[in-house]
Amino acid sequence: MAMRAPLIYAGLFLLGVVLLAIGAFIQPYRVGDTPGSEAGESLVALGLTFILLGIGFFLAWANPTQ
Amino acid sequence: MGGDDSGLKFLIGSSAGKSAVIAGFIATHVATISGLWFGGARLPKFDFNQLNGWLALGFTNDPLLTWVVGGILHYTSGIIWGVAFALIMHPALGRFIKPLAALTPVNNYIKGVIWGVVLWIISSALWVPLLIDPLFGGGVVGPFLTKFGANGVQAMFTNLLWHLIYGVNLGLLFSPTPAAPSRGAWKASSGVAMR
Repeated sequence: MAMRAPLIYAGLFLLGVVLLAIGAFIQPYRVGDTPGSEAGESLVALGLTFILLGIGFFLAWANPTQ
Repeated sequence: MGGDDSGLKFLIGSSAGKSAVIAGFIATHVATISGLWFGGARLPKFDFNQLNGWLALGFTNDPLLTWVVGGILHYTSGIIWGVAFALIMHPALGRFIKPLAALTPVNNYIKGVIWGVVLWIISSALWVPLLIDPLFGGGVVGPFLTKFGANGVQAMFTNLLWHLIYGVNLGLLFSPTPAAPSRGAWKASSGVAMR
């Protein structure tokens, strides 16, 4: 179980990278304040959210006070 | 930076209150600055300083004054939400969700993420549609932030990202752990002991 946790965190991070890549490279993006693709920008936001969650889990797990 | 309070030690500060204020300030600042940089990640820019300034002063001819006053209100709100989390929600979540009872960094982090989601719901369902929308005459903000001006549903997801940046930082920084860990898993016997 102890070694399964970082794999789950890595999975969250990778899911975020995939969503970010789909959003960033497949969909058109905004120019200035004019929005690009609604789906693309949503995927970028969700991808960054999962990346953030994965990194946060890893940092909490790696905390030396645990 | 560490200290103890009722047998607990904190990552920052010497008591739950001090730790909450510092963690709340840092979390608010990181999220606020990130929101200003969202444009660089092809996302709508989130400037809560300006929104709070418009809410307090209306549309003035002095954008700097609006931004500064809004910033003071926004940072104060962020710190108060952080203190409410640390002194009320953090112990309550440990009480009601048994797997989160143990005061470990991962559990503290999960509680911060839950708090971020709660604030996202409050912001998207209530704050922006009910307070910001009327400033623009209505019809600019969709239900649960599914629309904000020219932005569609990406506004809702970007708002989720913003509030999770806050929650993640709060959960990582406000991290009470037992001062003298005993053998085996330590369980919080009471949420009151946190205070």
